[in-house]
Amino acid sequence: MRNTLLELKDIEAGYGVFRVLHGVSLEVGKGEIVALVGPNGAGKTTTLKTIAGLTNLFKGEIVFDGLRINDVPPHNRIRKGLALVPEGRGIFAPLTVLENLYLGAYHEEARQKLNDSLEMVFTIFPRLKERKNQIAGTLSGGESQMLAIGRALMSRPKILLLDEPSLGLAPKVVSELFEIFKRLNDEWKVTLLLVEQHVKNSLEISHRAYVMESGKIVLEGESSVLIDDERLRKAYLII
Amino acid sequence: MLPSPGLIFQSVLDGVFLGFLYSLIALGLSLVFGVMGIINFAHGDFIMLGSYLVWILANGLRSDPSFMSLATVPLFFVIGAAIYMTIIRPVLGKEPLIQIAVTVGIGYVLQNFALMMFRAEPRAVQTTYLNLYLNLGVVSIHLAKLISAFLSLLIVLGVHYLLTKTWVGLAIRATAYDREVASLMGINVGKIFLLVFSLGIGLTGLAASLWMTFGQADPYIGSSFGLLTWVIIALGGLGGVSGLIASSLIVGIIQSLTMTLVSPTVSLAIPYVVFIMVLWFRPQGLFGKV
Repeated sequence: MRNTLLELKDIEAGYGVFRVLHGVSLEVGKGEIVALVGPNGAGKTTTLKTIAGLTNLFKGEIVFDGLRINDVPPHNRIRKGLALVPEGRGIFAPLTVLENLYLGAYHEEARQKLNDSLEMVFTIFPRLKERKNQIAGTLSGGESQMLAIGRALMSRPKILLLDEPSLGLAPKVVSELFEIFKRLNDEWKVTLLLVEQHVKNSLEISHRAYVMESGKIVLEGESSVLIDDERLRKAYLII
Repeated sequence: MLPSPGLIFQSVLDGVFLGFLYSLIALGLSLVFGVMGIINFAHGDFIMLGSYLVWILANGLRSDPSFMSLATVPLFFVIGAAIYMTIIRPVLGKEPLIQIAVTVGIGYVLQNFALMMFRAEPRAVQTTYLNLYLNLGVVSIHLAKLISAFLSLLIVLGVHYLLTKTWVGLAIRATAYDREVASLMGINVGKIFLLVFSLGIGLTGLAASLWMTFGQADPYIGSSFGLLTWVIIALGGLGGVSGLIASSLIVGIIQSLTMTLVSPTVSLAIPYVVFIMVLWFRPQGLFGKV
């Protein structure tokens, strides 16, 4: 029996009056890595943004940690333990690396643990420590992604929502990143909901996965089973 | 006849004093624009309104205009908050044309209100403790201008400290760069906007008090302050306080020198001429990055 941390029930959401999600239901258990894969435009980013409160929610229910959070504004969701690492990283380029990390710990509870959290983030990403006084805009792609993840960790999240973290990164950096996700889950007990284009990597490190198409979940199951699924292999050329 | 070096030095000094006051005015405008993306065309008119308020209060209490900032700053902070809630917030995220129409509209309302209440004649405060000149041989320092420059610099540096060394300042800078990601960090962007707009208007209350220690209130000073501070911001390039102060001083000195050496009428136009010339050669501003 899964200990559910996040549940989306029949979500219809989008931007303005436009619906992108047409009844999305999914579940993430405590301690799980769940992958959300699918082609461009399937609604993966919109799903994560909806969880973070950045879209118009027309129908359905989002339950996080036992509470319905439909009406919780985005800036209060991070307090509850939801941290989104947005697509494109969302680094504050003119600020220093350290200032970016501080911003992750902006809410009061996280602020009290600021020094512990910094130490944790610097243990996971030693390179951020070396560059802490550097302007964030000067970091490489891989380093920016580490900063974006480190910043999200500063909020002491119960769940980390990762939107295309490997986008635009060199293959070597991508595998490093997936190693880090595994470590975050194993050692630091962080629950992950991972939106990815690297379907094979994602299925390898995740416990379960959902496949999205045109705003709907079309396939779901154990990642170890899905990785051998004929339809998926064909659609995503997993060799 | 060539002007004496003493006269030029005196003029530069007066320009520097004026420049510091300009930097205080430009700071509020630049904060609101930098953080919210709103061009507040009524910014100068709040100084105009404040000047009249200071004129009434200082004459009524027979006291120095600078002390009136104790009343004008909190009052204008609250007025700023009220205007944000009722007029600015509904147009956030709307097209720039709508935002421009709204703030230009506020400016016209304030101007015509002043015309109706006080007519078009300039008003100055009678009692000022600071209307003294320190004679230093070559130059004489107008105490009112010296103190207004000093207080302006103090407040500009104070706001700089707030922006760079405090949590709320960090939140303001994050919001200025990316409001959506800022909200993901747990920053209540609406509250930051409210704070920044109120602070911007609150600072015009201070600027008005300092201006009235040596200047005059008339219904049209708002337009000249407003346009002049835009020139300062564009010259300085958005971002740093140092660029803002430097371009304020440049504009102050240019204005003062043309007033002394050419004519007061020309001095009103010269900063704009310089501005256009700078735009030809450095479109990103004197101190701005590309």
